[in-house]
Amino acid sequence: MRRQRAKGEEQLDGRADATASSREQFLARAIVAGGAVAAGGLLVAGWPRLGTAAPSAAQDAKILNFALLLEYIEAGFYSDAVAKGKLSGDLLDFATTVRDHERAHVAFLKGALGNSARRKPKLDFGQTTSDPKTFTSAAISLEETVVAAYNGQAGNLTKPTLAQAARIVSVEARHAAWIRALAGKDPAPNATDKPDTASQVQADINRTGFVQSG
Amino acid sequence: MMSLTLEQLDRDGAIREAVEKASGDTRAAFLGKAVVGGAALLGALAAPGSGEAATAKSDVAILNYALTLEYLQASFYTEAERLGAIKGKLAPIPPQLGAVERAHVQAIKAALGRAAVKRPAFDFHGVTENNSKFLKTAVAFEDLGTAAYKAQAARIKSPALLAAAISIHSVEARHAAWMRFLAGAVPAASAFDEGKPISQVRAIVASTHFVAARPKSRSRKKPKFTG
Repeated sequence: MRRQRAKGEEQLDGRADATASSREQFLARAIVAGGAVAAGGLLVAGWPRLGTAAPSAAQDAKILNFALLLEYIEAGFYSDAVAKGKLSGDLLDFATTVRDHERAHVAFLKGALGNSARRKPKLDFGQTTSDPKTFTSAAISLEETVVAAYNGQAGNLTKPTLAQAARIVSVEARHAAWIRALAGKDPAPNATDKPDTASQVQADINRTGFVQSG
Repeated sequence: MMSLTLEQLDRDGAIREAVEKASGDTRAAFLGKAVVGGAALLGALAAPGSGEAATAKSDVAILNYALTLEYLQASFYTEAERLGAIKGKLAPIPPQLGAVERAHVQAIKAALGRAAVKRPAFDFHGVTENNSKFLKTAVAFEDLGTAAYKAQAARIKSPALLAAAISIHSVEARHAAWMRFLAGAVPAASAFDEGKPISQVRAIVASTHFVAARPKSRSRKKPKFTG
């Protein structure tokens, strides 16, 4: 099932249940295979075009806005998961701590971007935040995506902005390792973390269907 | 307390290889995977773009600094693995993290070629033989490694070296979180990780007294095999 929507289009009725299951499938399979899965996500409109031009203040702003969108998604995801009240014990501790970190990242990036900061998109996490198992899978997927996204942009940033982004990316990597450990998975399976390009990240996020308008 | 140094014990990694062979296919395959998983980026480290100018002096200095820290980490885990005293839930840590840190060492050495600093002699004062001391040291090393790479990231000039360093940086952060998790500490203690400048990292490393001998000099000798 695959749907597209134009920017600003109203949410379609009755999609929630139908897409939730494919979203879970995506998340579950993405973790096993790490591969592309066609699922019911809606395409995000208005992604910044990230070039590989020489670093500049203008390019920094685009990249930070890209990071801000990812942080909005993460902050929204953990806020939703904690609010739904289906997590307990170690998972709840994780979700609460990480929620606060992601909110701090959002605030930091908004502050850095000032007037050019993008607005928070409409988000829908479906069933992924209402069950410990799907939450865990989705959290791993999100954290891995964000680590790869930051790493992929390191060389495109001016040096002062890179220094700031580096303060965030290792925290995202810690989150990834933490939730993997809680899931009984290897927290650090590779000698290096593979970076993703902006379009790879965009495809991963689109597949989740979390973003309803961007 | 044992006072053997890693170099005395395992000059060319022969013991490590033997251990890997002796421990069977599963582990060997696993170790292979751990290294291969990051091979592409480490390869980039070893061979910066052919069109690129010679590595900047400041990048060489940063790489040698990173190499020293990787030597420290690799030697620590390798010694712990060889001594075999780390048990229980921590038992898989020395071989796995050892393999990764050794891969980092090899890649950085390859990038530096003859400019690479030599491995110092280490004396870990028994922390490689005791679960609790081992874990505390691992937490400290991995947090330190993360902070050290972070502070250098924005100083690296070569894009290829930056890509490699940043991809190692987040792996060190994963290790830090993992070791903290095993130690019952919060894996991500704050929303932002701060870097540590070289002077601070050096002071911390010196305070451990783990480095038993400084490398005498950068090698200026001819390579043994000139092909």
